[in-house]
Amino acid sequence: MAATQSNAADSLRLESISKAFPARGGEGEVRAVDTVNLNILPGEFLTLLGPSGCGKTTTLRLIAGFETPSSGRILLDGKDITNQPPNKRDMAMVFQSYALFPHMTVFDNIAYGLHLRRLSRSEIRTKVVETLELMGLKGLGDRRPNELSGGQQQRVALARSLVMEPRVLLFDEPLSNLDAKLRVQMRSEIHRLQRRLRITSIYVTHDQIEAMALSDRIVVMNKGKIEQMGTPGEIYHTPATRFVADFIGRANFVDATVIEESGSNLVVEVLGRRFTVPAKFSYSPGMSVVAMLRSESLTLRQDESLLQVVIDQAMFLGSEVEYVVNVGTKQIVVVEQDPRGISVFDEGQQVGLDFAQEAIHLLPA
Amino acid sequence: MEGSFASLNVTSERYEVFTLLNHTRYGAGFRRIWQDPVLAISLLLVVLFIFVAIILPILAMVGASLSEEGRALFAHYLGERAYQDIITNTLVMGLTVATAGTAIGFLFAYVQVKMKAPFKRFMHLIALVPIISPPFAVATAIILLFGRNGMISKGIFGVRYDIYGLTGLTLALALSLFTIAYLNFKGMLQALDPSLEEAATNLGASKWHIFRTVTVPMLLPGFAASFLLLFVEAIADLGNPLVLGGNYEVLATRVYISIIGLHDNVAAAVFSMILLVPSLTVFIIQRYWVGRTSVVSVTGKPTGTPQQITHPVVRWVLISLVLGICALIVGIYVVIFVGSVTRVFGVNNAFTLEHFDFVINGYGSEAMVDTTTFAIVATPLAGVLGMLIAFLIVRKAFWGRNAVDFGTMLGIAVPGTILGIGYLIVFNNPITLTLPFVGDNVPAITLIPKLTGGRAILGGALAIIVVYVVRSVPAALRSGVALLSQIDPAIEEASISLGADNAVTFRKITLPLIRPAFLAGLIYAFARSMTTISAIVFLTTPQTRIMTQQILNETEQGRYGNAFAYCVILIGIVLVAIAILYATVGSTTGAERSLEGGA
Ligand SMILES: Nc1ncnc2c1ncn2[C@@H]1O[C@H](COP(=O)(O)OP(=O)(O)O)[C@@H](O)[C@H]1O
Ligand SMILES: [Mg+2]
Repeated sequence: MAATQSNAADSLRLESISKAFPARGGEGEVRAVDTVNLNILPGEFLTLLGPSGCGKTTTLRLIAGFETPSSGRILLDGKDITNQPPNKRDMAMVFQSYALFPHMTVFDNIAYGLHLRRLSRSEIRTKVVETLELMGLKGLGDRRPNELSGGQQQRVALARSLVMEPRVLLFDEPLSNLDAKLRVQMRSEIHRLQRRLRITSIYVTHDQIEAMALSDRIVVMNKGKIEQMGTPGEIYHTPATRFVADFIGRANFVDATVIEESGSNLVVEVLGRRFTVPAKFSYSPGMSVVAMLRSESLTLRQDESLLQVVIDQAMFLGSEVEYVVNVGTKQIVVVEQDPRGISVFDEGQQVGLDFAQEAIHLLPA
Repeated sequence: MEGSFASLNVTSERYEVFTLLNHTRYGAGFRRIWQDPVLAISLLLVVLFIFVAIILPILAMVGASLSEEGRALFAHYLGERAYQDIITNTLVMGLTVATAGTAIGFLFAYVQVKMKAPFKRFMHLIALVPIISPPFAVATAIILLFGRNGMISKGIFGVRYDIYGLTGLTLALALSLFTIAYLNFKGMLQALDPSLEEAATNLGASKWHIFRTVTVPMLLPGFAASFLLLFVEAIADLGNPLVLGGNYEVLATRVYISIIGLHDNVAAAVFSMILLVPSLTVFIIQRYWVGRTSVVSVTGKPTGTPQQITHPVVRWVLISLVLGICALIVGIYVVIFVGSVTRVFGVNNAFTLEHFDFVINGYGSEAMVDTTTFAIVATPLAGVLGMLIAFLIVRKAFWGRNAVDFGTMLGIAVPGTILGIGYLIVFNNPITLTLPFVGDNVPAITLIPKLTGGRAILGGALAIIVVYVVRSVPAALRSGVALLSQIDPAIEEASISLGADNAVTFRKITLPLIRPAFLAGLIYAFARSMTTISAIVFLTTPQTRIMTQQILNETEQGRYGNAFAYCVILIGIVLVAIAILYATVGSTTGAERSLEGGA
């Protein structure tokens, strides 16, 4: 997948990193991370995205140095840091549980790393005060972590890492302990801060929206391996595998058949209609493929000339209506935005299903 | 009180669960330990300690029992009726004490957690008193209350009751050991998720039905654990059978008589071996079976408050029972105190301070000073060692982690007498290494000098101090493990991520956070060192006098007044030490309390 050749612009590089753990309670081992190659560019915000147990945290902990890889190398600015202990790496980690020091004040929490660097008292003071202000924590320096709200604790955790001005910031699901509203708010705050400070960041999450909102690039992981790497747009619109397509956004998969090749395009039959789409991998006529159709790219209209479907279920969700419709062989999900403008169909009603050719993304069967 | 390796193991099951859950987090492994010299040296020291101070003496004892002479004795003892009776006696006593103690412990815990009751705080304190109580105190007081001339048996009921034997032993031991069960059940009942009972109520179950079908099954592992621990403690106990046994002989007293009366180390080793088998079996069952099957407290934080039992008859019957037992315990301590200032308790009740004079200014003063000094030396060693081992076990995933835990726990799992004999065998002579292939004129290298007896370094005190440490570390370890496994390991990782090394992290983060466990470990170590008898009874010499040993002497001579004066002073010293430890090590910050509270 990604380039393994040296690239001077890399900030952090993982070269065929694998990590196996002895299987819990049994024989054998678990390959938590499996031959991962990764280049992270300076100032980049890169997200590791995937379902629980796919190896995101382990990858992050390998980068931080809390785990030693079973094989492979990690390089920071071209220097091999594979065996460097975690405290010697110029990185700071923001933990899911915040991991604030409960016996220290907010100020001391933030000053902790600076003390270890043997900065002068006045320097520490200035930096901590600056950071408190930057993070909107002014006046809370004397509090203890247990006297703060969840959101404030999260800010302290972030401040404690930011104040170190590390080469790389590491985040392990930092927002997963916040309630939904706060999560959205902190998400945009992290976005704003990172774009402003441009600290190279690696962010672990299983929340696809969070990943898309924050990232320059997303790495989708599955069972310890990288499934796909790309910008949020690439990952969303042109997923490389069915796993990626399924994990991100709402996708319908329908069987399709390749009719013929025409130049760099293909003619395929999807739901009884023929479309000409760009060829993304090699095909031969007659081959069965899978067409991915995002729910929001589909639309329902009263039109006899379209494929007729039956509405099995209609759910009003405020900003949209979600329909489960029966296309004869299977059910697919259609989402209509802003339902005020259009008519809302009833369950059992027969309507026409329409979609543009651009909505089709082919995947190998 | 002799024993109670579980008094602080309330949450040990929880620890198992936590380690299972958190296992993923500590993949650091051996390599990481060896990369850090401080860690590597700590681990080496710990392993050395376990091997030399615990494993080696036990192995030596086993070795002696399996010698040719010993094997012959085995056949003899196991085949003869009189000795078979001793074995039966021991097991029967273990069963009765375990049953009675578990029942009392559960009763106290149930009333404490599930009921509105008067004097709850008082009941709690009374349940904790046995921890600081010296051996023989309860047994002797029971004789004075219920013996042939007992104040209650003869004085009130006018019967010449014979309390010596199984009844007296069961009473004394159950009252001394029920604390273990109490703390265990109290922790479990509090951790029991109330929503379970609420769910059962919702489904229409009556309180009694809930008790039978929800509470008891959930606590079953707790019953098993308490029962097994009390069993081990009971059969290992030496003090009570010596005083209260009468004709009811048990293995522990046999071991004692073999050494003290007959100077027969091999016979003692053989009896110890016979005693070791049930002890170790039960310890292993408790550790690997009961520990694994615990169903309580997987979730950690229960929601809601436990439902209260309001049925008036049930309430008052249970509360009266608890208050009755409390009265008995109070009575026992009143006897001890009054006895210490009475000429001859029950015969000549004139007030006197001569017993205190004997202990403080006379013959006993040396024992008082020596014992306290040894305990003061042993306490911080045990506390720090316990925290260090806990840290290594919980936070560092290294090969042999379980063996280190197990080895440390053996220090308390084996009966004290066994450890004592082991020390006699191993450390009574210097352990030397003669280099092969060099001339006879090259002196052998002394690996471990003679530790026991009058002419050992420090006159044998070193062996006693080491035994104190060995007997105290397990409790410190358990409380350290219990607290540490509730502290998010990410907190320490955050420190490392910010640039601190392992040593700085341990000092600035870990140690302050486990301070409550450290404090508990220190208190326990001091109390246990001051009150232990079985493990050191063979190691004392005329040069190193130990209070518990002196109490035994005075009791055996029938000089109860002196014995009680020793007990009162011993309790006083322990209480003062606890106060000092609280003042110096005790935690004051809200953060630590919140950690404790979250437990
Ligand atoms: N220390 C460990 N010991 C054994 N298995 C582990 C350990 N750490 C992680 N694993 C396993 O490795 C896989 C990946 O875990 P993790 O990196 O935590 O996943 P994620 O963060 O994506 O949810 C899981 O199957 C997990 O059970
Ligand atoms: Mg994770």
